[in-house]
Amino acid sequence: MTTRALLLTALLAVALGGCAAFRNAAPGDPLEPINRGVDSFNNTFDHYLFRPIAKGYDAVLPVPVKRGVSNVFQNAADAQSLLSDALQLKGGKLGDDLGRVLINSTIGLGGLFDLASDMGIERGNEDLGQTLGHWGLGSGPYLVVPFLGPSSVRDLAGRYADGKIDPVALVSSVPLRNSLLGLREVDARVALFPAEALIQQAALDRYSFIRSAYLQRRQSLVLDGKRPKDE
Amino acid sequence: MKIAHWLSVAFAALSFVSAHANLAPDAQVKAVATDVTQVLKTDPSVLGNPAKLRDLIEVKLLPNFDFKRMTQLAMGRNWARATPEQQAELTREFQTLLVRTYSGALANFRNNTIDYKPLRMQPNDTDVTVRTVVNQPNGQGIPIDYSMEKGADGQWRAYDVVLAGVSLVTNYRDEFNGIVRDQGVDALVKQLQAKNK
Repeated sequence: MTTRALLLTALLAVALGGCAAFRNAAPGDPLEPINRGVDSFNNTFDHYLFRPIAKGYDAVLPVPVKRGVSNVFQNAADAQSLLSDALQLKGGKLGDDLGRVLINSTIGLGGLFDLASDMGIERGNEDLGQTLGHWGLGSGPYLVVPFLGPSSVRDLAGRYADGKIDPVALVSSVPLRNSLLGLREVDARVALFPAEALIQQAALDRYSFIRSAYLQRRQSLVLDGKRPKDE
Repeated sequence: MKIAHWLSVAFAALSFVSAHANLAPDAQVKAVATDVTQVLKTDPSVLGNPAKLRDLIEVKLLPNFDFKRMTQLAMGRNWARATPEQQAELTREFQTLLVRTYSGALANFRNNTIDYKPLRMQPNDTDVTVRTVVNQPNGQGIPIDYSMEKGADGQWRAYDVVLAGVSLVTNYRDEFNGIVRDQGVDALVKQLQAKNK
């Protein structure tokens, strides 16, 4: 119910923002006027609510606690990425991620400690959006999603499917699950603080700066860091 | 005898300093990065002192970048539409913007180590990519690639930096394109000037 109210507000902001800031859409971003509306809604939401909460969390908790929290969510994400590793037939990454989850979940005390990284086992860092890209699906139009931020048609579909196998969402106790989901968003927001300062300094037009960075980053993840011109 | 010895040592040292110019591209990136990290380690107060920081960057870093080429690439097809005065102004302002961004980001890089990937290069190549991985204290590595071109003077200069798959030049090209398309080259110059004020 509250989510519905929030969504309605978001749509309203979209409509208003779309009218106020109408400009020519860039190639690859046919929905630019709408996206810009959602982006400014997201920024307002972030500025008044989300960012202050993340700042408070960051200021209050000691570093080892915050690192432990990040590690637990990373461990869940590593488990979640096993399916994407397998669907892309990336045996090396599947082995690495499986090893990571096994090590971190056991001697890493349920993921609190990222011992696998200390041992030099890298994260595969895969998801279902990348899997669709790996099998040839283009990103489709760029999207800015209310509350979620930058995405694309392909990546939003991947994200939706990933949500079905999200270990955190499978926690059966509803209050615990919701607290964990909220905490995960806060943890992810804190991780963005350094990038936020950089963008503030570097960007002339924040929206197109982030759009370009997002699309390039995703493309690079799909290609596992290889660049198209490298063959 | 002794004086001759010292003189030869001094000359060797001098020629080494200027020989930065003729290093292989990956060795050059490494030399510059080592130089800068060394300064930051021996005198961390540099980070809190904007004037000193700018000095460090201007002396150590700037000669290793081709800002005109970067600006030209970031402008794409709009470069030809700009007058020579606009081109000069764009290059100057873009350089200032990048230097400021870099000085801001430098503080985050202080405690990191850098790995250099083997360089794939033929003897006659004049355009190569130097691949590095910056290891953060939290164990995550960020790949940073430098696209470098050999100038007529034999020195390698970077014309793009690719951070975790995000090319600086491409990022700015998308941004500049949008501004030029909607408002023209002059508006872009003005926005860069305002940003750098």
